Amino acid sequence: MIRCKPLLGTFVEISTEDGEHSLHAIEMAFNAIEQVQSLMGFHDPDSELSQINARSHLEPIRIHSWTTEVLTIAKEIHIESKGIFNCGIGHHLVEAGLLPRHVRMDTRLFGGIEDLEFIEANCVRSQVPLCLDLGGIAKGYAVDKAVEVLVDHGIHTGSVNAGGDMRVFGDRVQDIQIRNPSKPHELIQIGGMKVGAIATSSLYFARRDAETKSFMVNPLNQEHIEFLESYSVVASECVYADALTKVVSISGNDQHPCLSHFSAQAIKIPSTFIA
Amino acid sequence: MNRKLNPLLIASVAATMAPIVAHAKIYVSVEQAQKILIPNKPLVKNPIIITDELQDKMRSASSIRHPFQGDRIWKASDGSWFIVDEVVGKHEMITYAVALSPLGAVTGIEILEYVESYGYEVAEAQWRKQFVGKTAADPIKLNQDIQNIGGATLSCKHLTDGVKRVAVLYDIALKNQSQAPKAK
Repeated sequence: MIRCKPLLGTFVEISTEDGEHSLHAIEMAFNAIEQVQSLMGFHDPDSELSQINARSHLEPIRIHSWTTEVLTIAKEIHIESKGIFNCGIGHHLVEAGLLPRHVRMDTRLFGGIEDLEFIEANCVRSQVPLCLDLGGIAKGYAVDKAVEVLVDHGIHTGSVNAGGDMRVFGDRVQDIQIRNPSKPHELIQIGGMKVGAIATSSLYFARRDAETKSFMVNPLNQEHIEFLESYSVVASECVYADALTKVVSISGNDQHPCLSHFSAQAIKIPSTFIA
Repeated sequence: MNRKLNPLLIASVAATMAPIVAHAKIYVSVEQAQKILIPNKPLVKNPIIITDELQDKMRSASSIRHPFQGDRIWKASDGSWFIVDEVVGKHEMITYAVALSPLGAVTGIEILEYVESYGYEVAEAQWRKQFVGKTAADPIKLNQDIQNIGGATLSCKHLTDGVKRVAVLYDIALKNQSQAPKAK
């Protein structure tokens, strides 16, 4: 059975090979994704992420263990990538009209993910105002959570695909296609996968609206970046695959040393690729 | 007899000759979506005649230009609604179902079909037509077996617009029906 719902700003597909009786498991998996969205969505002014952005410089904020987990991984990848991955770029996306504005603040004051401190396991604060956007990592995490739920419900083989960031599991090799960055309707068969995750970063759909700025910001120089190629990262968990695509696409380095630290591998498809 | 070439015919010939690469996915049927979104409640078909005025209001609220079809509306015994609609963007056509509570709140959205193309082809009415109403049982020549497509994120903005027009439909045409039994 395969179902699809609009979540996380994209289309999320959940597929299982266990027939109609997997309906409940799929429903629970979608619920997990909805929970990630309600905890970590930038658009929702009531999400925990929005609470952190609005008040963490004023008072400690208590957060759910899932938010803790994502923020911890975000800090880890920030350190390992030497700052190339940093969620503290939300204000640039707000300025560009790509994210909604909840609070008006002097953008020069905003800190990065490195300024977020854990006081306790599930409690954070910051010395400076933050405008974190978890768009580059939470989708992957949501995919992982959905897979966890499916496995817990006894599903043997399946996949979760959140708008191109996906994870497969089971005992059957599943074909994986990625889009050709120069002709996104063309698919490139890149191989098969039994268990693992792959996420892709590219700007071909973003360029459909010629006037808008790229949604990729280089945290080191705070500039929106443009590139024509596509970068995919294969990792065991989708949260790492998702976040590491930003490291390779921003650095333009598909051999970035950060990859081996997380046992991940990158695939670069040049914009000149011909199938 | 009119010797002029039929423009629709030209469009269909062009569409068959153009190297169209489309990805179509059929997820669940209308019946399955009904069971998923409004479980354990019998649904009765409740078609609505969409007046020009209503069509205009739905269009201005959602910026979706193609007309809404009023024949895919169902009502549950508790006053909930189940509505099937399509959004047609420049790059995709999505058939989806929305469930509304008796008070008009969206209680669930399910994608039934997703047909994707790139470029001008999807704007051609003839091209689109070949997918409308297809089910998994139809032998359409599409890459249905392709499942795991990676790549940049496709935005669901168009679908959000679609749901907006369903909300307008509720306000103008369904709400009164929901409340009618109480007035008796």
